[in-house]
Amino acid sequence: MAKAYRLIFDENLCIGCQACNVACRLENDVPEGVYRLQVHVTTQGVFPHLGMHFERRSCVMCDEPPCVSVCPTGASFQSKDGLVHIHESQCITCKYCILACPYHARFINPVKNVVEKCTFCFDSRLSKALDPACVSVCTTEALRFGDVSQENSTVAMLSRKETLLFPKAHLGTKPKVCFIPARKGVKV
Amino acid sequence: MSPMWGSTAQYEVMHWSWAIAVYLFLAGISAGSIIVALLVKWNRHERSNSSIWDAMIKSGTLVAPVSILAGLFLLVADLGRPLSFYWLLIRFNPLSVMSLGVLFLLIYTPIVLVFTLLVFERTIVKYTWLSPLGSFIEWVKSLHSYAKTIEYFLMAAALCVGTYTGFLLSALYAIPLWNSPVLPIVFLTSSISSGIAVNILIGLVFFKSTINTESIKYLLVLDLRVIMTELPLLGIFFVGLLYGGGEVSSMAKAALSHGGLALVFWLGVIGIGLLLPLATVILALRSHVYRVGYILTNATAVLLGVLLLRYYIIYAGQIYLG
Ligand code: SF4
Ligand code: SF4
Repeated sequence: MAKAYRLIFDENLCIGCQACNVACRLENDVPEGVYRLQVHVTTQGVFPHLGMHFERRSCVMCDEPPCVSVCPTGASFQSKDGLVHIHESQCITCKYCILACPYHARFINPVKNVVEKCTFCFDSRLSKALDPACVSVCTTEALRFGDVSQENSTVAMLSRKETLLFPKAHLGTKPKVCFIPARKGVKV
Repeated sequence: MSPMWGSTAQYEVMHWSWAIAVYLFLAGISAGSIIVALLVKWNRHERSNSSIWDAMIKSGTLVAPVSILAGLFLLVADLGRPLSFYWLLIRFNPLSVMSLGVLFLLIYTPIVLVFTLLVFERTIVKYTWLSPLGSFIEWVKSLHSYAKTIEYFLMAAALCVGTYTGFLLSALYAIPLWNSPVLPIVFLTSSISSGIAVNILIGLVFFKSTINTESIKYLLVLDLRVIMTELPLLGIFFVGLLYGGGEVSSMAKAALSHGGLALVFWLGVIGIGLLLPLATVILALRSHVYRVGYILTNATAVLLGVLLLRYYIIYAGQIYLG
């Protein structure tokens, strides 16, 4: 049966330590200056009522990916599990997909001169039934990953319990990455 | 909100640069000049061989293949991996406007070349060093009986090429300033106006035709009509964005008011490209002074304006992402 992967990022648990970011760089050999994944940390509010905001930025693995539909060569494609990948050899680096992605998740790998993005560590980990590197190192368990079609998986249980936000949901891209928003607002 | 940690450099890269703007301009010129040449060919009444109309047909058929080939070269050269471009030819994604564009160009470019050969047949036959091409020319001659059909196909293909450059951008809903249904119409209109301008320019310079007051007046009126179509279209385009709500509105506002890019729009696209030609045309038509100089100035200004419009749209879209 096809998988229904989901990655949940809990902003309430994140402390902005960037362990996930570093793990991703090591796992996927991401060159300096570009990111498959980073957590943007910002301060909000007016002193003394300050709060931190953590925003996880990466490919959100759309179920309806615009990057795939615009690719003229089929280099960007969707697997039967709904994951979006890139055939490096067929990519002509026309950059159309980079512009089409509403999450600005794609970039050009300056070393290989080819388009790249998060793959959920498919080749090196996921295909061997291991969680993506970012999930496996998260110090506070703010990242959870699994198959929501499996009733008793952590992500399925979390999905039933929590209010999930899907980034730019109004675009109809149906992301597989979602987040649990901070419960504590900043008092202004 | 103060940023504390996180790099945004990756989001500020201009993935499509001036090369794409120039390609869109060249593809537009090619389609526009052939559309205008065909319209003139079908509609002009007297069949004298030295009129400005004849010169416009000749320059159209000359400009179209040169500019589309130059544009295609630029397009391939701008790919991150130019040598892999053959994937574009062996793969086809019907959902991708880029794939559709490749298809249109593959149909359009050969027909343009054949049409050019047909129009310049007499000239080609004159040059003996081209005689190895003899059998080829014979073949082209045999196409004469299909001339009309070829012309209709060419018109359709040129309309596709002129419009697809707009859809290429407007298909991306990730980019608020591009994702407008008006953009393809704006691009088609401005490519027709660049076609008129370039045909007049090349026609006057290279095919020294007899210029009489009548034809100058006609060309000026033609100019006027195009400008009066383009101005309101650009207006509709931006009003649509400004009323788009949310980030679409704010991005459009910023693109029209911030920095050097806004200057490119107001000074270059509106000022030089539209208002300057409009003023000269109105002045000339009012005072009944028809000078060749007016036409040449107008044509150059229009071309510059059309190029700057492409440049502005390409960069503004990528800078004001929301
Ligand atoms: S987030 Fe962007 S790169 Fe990832 S699947 Fe969606 S559109 Fe494609
Ligand atoms: S850059 Fe590569 S993956 Fe992206 S649209 Fe072009 S060919 Fe496809």
